[in-house]
Amino acid sequence: MDFHIRKGVDIRLAGTAKEEIQNFASSRFLICPTDFRWLKPRLLIAPGSSVNVGTPLFCSKEDERIVIVSPVQGEVMEVIRGNHRAIEAIVIQADSSPITFANVSFPEPTNSSEIAELLISNGLWPFLRQRPFATIPTPDTRPKALFVSCFDSAPLAPNFGILLKGKEEYFHEGIRRLHQLVGKDCPVHLCLPKGRSNQLFESVEEVKLHYFDGPHPAGNVGTQIHRIAPIDKGETIWFIHPQDVATIGRFFLTHELSFEKRIALTGPCAENPCYYTFPYGTDLSALLNCETTNAQVRKISGNVLTGNQLTKYNTLRFYDTQLTLLPEGGERKLLGWLLPNFKKWSLSHTFLSWLFQHHIFAHNTSLQGGRRNFVMTDVYEKVFPFEILPLQLMKACLTEDIEQMEELGIYEVDDEDFALCEVVCPSKMECQKIIREGLYKIKMENQA
Amino acid sequence: MNILTQLSDKISHHFEKGKPLYCFYALYDAIDTFLLTPSEVTSGGSHIRDAVDMKRIMITVMIALCPALFFGMWNIGVQHFLSLGENATFWRCFGYGFLKWLPLVMVTYFSGLTIEVIFAQHRGHQVAEGFFVTGFLIPMIMPPDVPLWIVAIATAFSVLFAKEVFGGTGYNFLNPALIARAFVFFAYPSVISGDAVWISESADAVSGATPLALVMNDATAQMPSFLDMFIGTIPGCIGETSKICIIIGAILLLYTQVASWRIMLSVVVGGWITGTLFHAAGMCPITGWQHLLMGGFLFGAVFMATDPVTATHTQAGKWIYGLLIGILAIVIRVINKGYPEGMMLAILLMNIFAPLIDYCIVKIKIRKRKINISKHKILL
Repeated sequence: MDFHIRKGVDIRLAGTAKEEIQNFASSRFLICPTDFRWLKPRLLIAPGSSVNVGTPLFCSKEDERIVIVSPVQGEVMEVIRGNHRAIEAIVIQADSSPITFANVSFPEPTNSSEIAELLISNGLWPFLRQRPFATIPTPDTRPKALFVSCFDSAPLAPNFGILLKGKEEYFHEGIRRLHQLVGKDCPVHLCLPKGRSNQLFESVEEVKLHYFDGPHPAGNVGTQIHRIAPIDKGETIWFIHPQDVATIGRFFLTHELSFEKRIALTGPCAENPCYYTFPYGTDLSALLNCETTNAQVRKISGNVLTGNQLTKYNTLRFYDTQLTLLPEGGERKLLGWLLPNFKKWSLSHTFLSWLFQHHIFAHNTSLQGGRRNFVMTDVYEKVFPFEILPLQLMKACLTEDIEQMEELGIYEVDDEDFALCEVVCPSKMECQKIIREGLYKIKMENQA
Repeated sequence: MNILTQLSDKISHHFEKGKPLYCFYALYDAIDTFLLTPSEVTSGGSHIRDAVDMKRIMITVMIALCPALFFGMWNIGVQHFLSLGENATFWRCFGYGFLKWLPLVMVTYFSGLTIEVIFAQHRGHQVAEGFFVTGFLIPMIMPPDVPLWIVAIATAFSVLFAKEVFGGTGYNFLNPALIARAFVFFAYPSVISGDAVWISESADAVSGATPLALVMNDATAQMPSFLDMFIGTIPGCIGETSKICIIIGAILLLYTQVASWRIMLSVVVGGWITGTLFHAAGMCPITGWQHLLMGGFLFGAVFMATDPVTATHTQAGKWIYGLLIGILAIVIRVINKGYPEGMMLAILLMNIFAPLIDYCIVKIKIRKRKINISKHKILL
């Protein structure tokens, strides 16, 4: 089925990754439990213990079956704790040439529960996430549908063709196994970009193919779910990144457990934007040091809309496939709010630069104004392709009106769906934070 | 600019919490961010932001008001010298009007901003830009000779009781500029109603009746031509007389998408239809489109009804809100001869009903969402 997304915007930035894949290796690995939303970790190893690829490092306190495993063979050097002794990172020191895969022998799984068991015990289960809440699903549950968004429309997003280059077979196997996992009655939806080469995805069998065109957030799984199978209270939908599908496929096809992933180094400050391959958790300090000579650069795990700023630990988040280097802003301009400005990017027609949306503007991290209360009312709708009232939903979240949040459709959205609202907000609201906190509130309410 | 940045860096720490000048932080911050864009960077969430901010939006509204304001200043002079039977040059008229307007706007800003700054300081907030537009609007909807102390009290009343008690800009449910006018209208009716107040310092023998008052008193014969009303060379409030200048402002607001086209269009449509119906029923001597050219209808439709905070927040709600403003304004005009201009009261009344309209629209949306989800379930 074809879907046309009308509302949204493609923000153009300099520093698209070249189609060139390089390797990067580091012997230091940092595994951060904060990568997993609202997961309360229980440590399963102690500093000094040696680990292999697939050795559980910590599990979820809520469901001890959900484990996060080591992506490398080595020794646990340190467990860094922050406020209230919360685990911030587990530091693993590998050999100088790290071993990043393990051979696992297992009998051919025949049913859904056996596949689930294999995914759980080998630490592959966390690749799956569920909506609502974007958390790791409970192993006993099954979703109403599984979504795989086969393109990313965010600024400077990696090309999935390159992410999956050489992994085509794994991807097919992964989809087959996931289909087996969720059951025959549960559809697997592959969402593809319209008008681009999708050979790899179109050759997958027993899935439903959907084509999306239009600006960002057409590639967001939230947008796709909303169009294809909107979530009602009590329902869950699973989603997974295609590269993680390939990782699961490789495990079943070759019995090799590897957490290697391909990522795109992008952004206006990246001196050599290209693709890199390394295992999850790799300490990227060396790579970032040689890429950024300037201290006034923000290192972002993910894209500029939803990514996390890297401050203490230079490692990519578990689910991210992109690293963005963005110049820091904060420069003060005389009467900047008054002058007609062609150089500043704006979707608002109060600047003439809105006429040149195809230009690449020099973006930086400046907030571009002061924080205010909600004043303007029509701005969010222009970039929010949901049949949901964004302003009213945010206000319901702020007032913690659980009933109103549910009725307005909070279960269908995640903070990333409000990223563009946050970008265009003239009151400089933190829309993503508002929604995330609303979701947390509702999750706690449902658990109580 | 570097000097300014350095100066700002040098003195900013004196205004931090715990320092002796902290009590002036809100004022310092307002001046500082007025001159130089803030240095704050994004933290979490989206790392890049649109260049637009509330200052940019408010200055756009003020620029849109300028044609009507400049014309209004000139018109005050024209009406004044005309009533005295004197011939005056363009600059003399403009200068006269400017000197009438300047004290009004100064008093408005002084009175309103003082309260705004005190509240911002008390709450630990930054001074919101909303008042820049409110303070600009208030003199434009007052008669030229309104006593300054009345303007000061009206502004203080509106800022305090229409805005700050509810939490400041963004939380108010009534348009503060209109509340200031309504305050004068009900507390000091003699300075804002009747025939004598619309021409500045006019000769006693000259009637300064506005066209609307003439129509309502069945004196249509004395009315100025509709071309005069369109251009604006008639007695009235400072900003409301020139329809062509208001239309220029409206075009700017619509182009920049600062004001809602839905509201503007629906107010005009509502007013036009109601005016036409009254005319057809023989209750009013002028037709629908003539109503639009009279009084503050157009000014209200373009600059007052479109206030995003006090209008409805849902898109469908904006249609209903606008239509009802247009209808009510003409109903008040035609049926109640005591209030020749109904726009102010119509907008204020609909400001009160806006949350109710939104409530209904949200409920309808919720129902539609439920139906949509159940449809998808059937499809799956």
